[in-house]
Amino acid sequence: MTHDPSHTACLELFEKLSEYLDDELDEQICRQIEAHASTCVACRACLETLRQTVALCRAMRRTEASVPGAFSDRWKEYIRKMASEAMSPHKS
Amino acid sequence: MPNPSDPKIKQDDDFELIQAINAGHTELFPELVSRYERKLYNFGMRMCRDVQDAEDMLQDTFLNVFRYLKDFRYETRFKNWLYRIATSTCLKKRRKSRFAPERELSLDEFLPREEAEIPVQTPAWASLPLDQLLNEELSSIIKESIQSLPENYRLVLVLRDIEGFSTAETAQVLGLTPENIKVRLHRARLFLREKLKDYFSHDA
Repeated sequence: MTHDPSHTACLELFEKLSEYLDDELDEQICRQIEAHASTCVACRACLETLRQTVALCRAMRRTEASVPGAFSDRWKEYIRKMASEAMSPHKS
Repeated sequence: MPNPSDPKIKQDDDFELIQAINAGHTELFPELVSRYERKLYNFGMRMCRDVQDAEDMLQDTFLNVFRYLKDFRYETRFKNWLYRIATSTCLKKRRKSRFAPERELSLDEFLPREEAEIPVQTPAWASLPLDQLLNEELSSIIKESIQSLPENYRLVLVLRDIEGFSTAETAQVLGLTPENIKVRLHRARLFLREKLKDYFSHDA
């Protein structure tokens, strides 16, 4: 099947790709998308590149930085002080 | 007084700690901070663009949590409420620090315009295992690409695909409809995909 950007099936698939990847569509629509992608090379490429983009993005969770030590120490001390001051009876 | 048999409350891992803090054990507040400090700092780094702003966001968020925790009624998970405060702190900070006009992304800009742009096969990078693909260089490309997203789209992408919130939770955190979240997420992902396509085409 030749890809045509104005082709209704291609456009419909293009609009719904993220919902498809997130499993947020009815089963019937999912089957339609799969049937179209199996015959349209361009849409399949579109689907697979988007799937990989999402996977790469999710993998960024692994690259979390630690809170800078100096800031963390200073900040935690402040929090501890604030919390203990809130505990002590306050009379104005 | 919240009812502990409410299923929403049962699902909240922070319920007991929050109850103890609200019952007067404010010395336990640093424990609540420890649970979320790192995640929230990284969220700040993805949203605020520099370390100073991320640190300020972290402080302001927890100060607000400390101030308003007694009013928290478990209408949502504590984590969602926390991110709601963090998001609004981020947005205020960004608006205060610099003027950056927001750009809307349209679906049309991600459609192939010419015959030559229509792929004739799935590119190799789309099927490689992540461990083989995700090196330091690609990580920085992805970070930069996320940073270059317009803020409204970046927020949705970061909450959904990096922080792992569901569509409904993201809608709750941002005060938008689930439909709106889906539209923004799709465009943000397409934006990112274009950046990756460019990177891999230069790399080839």
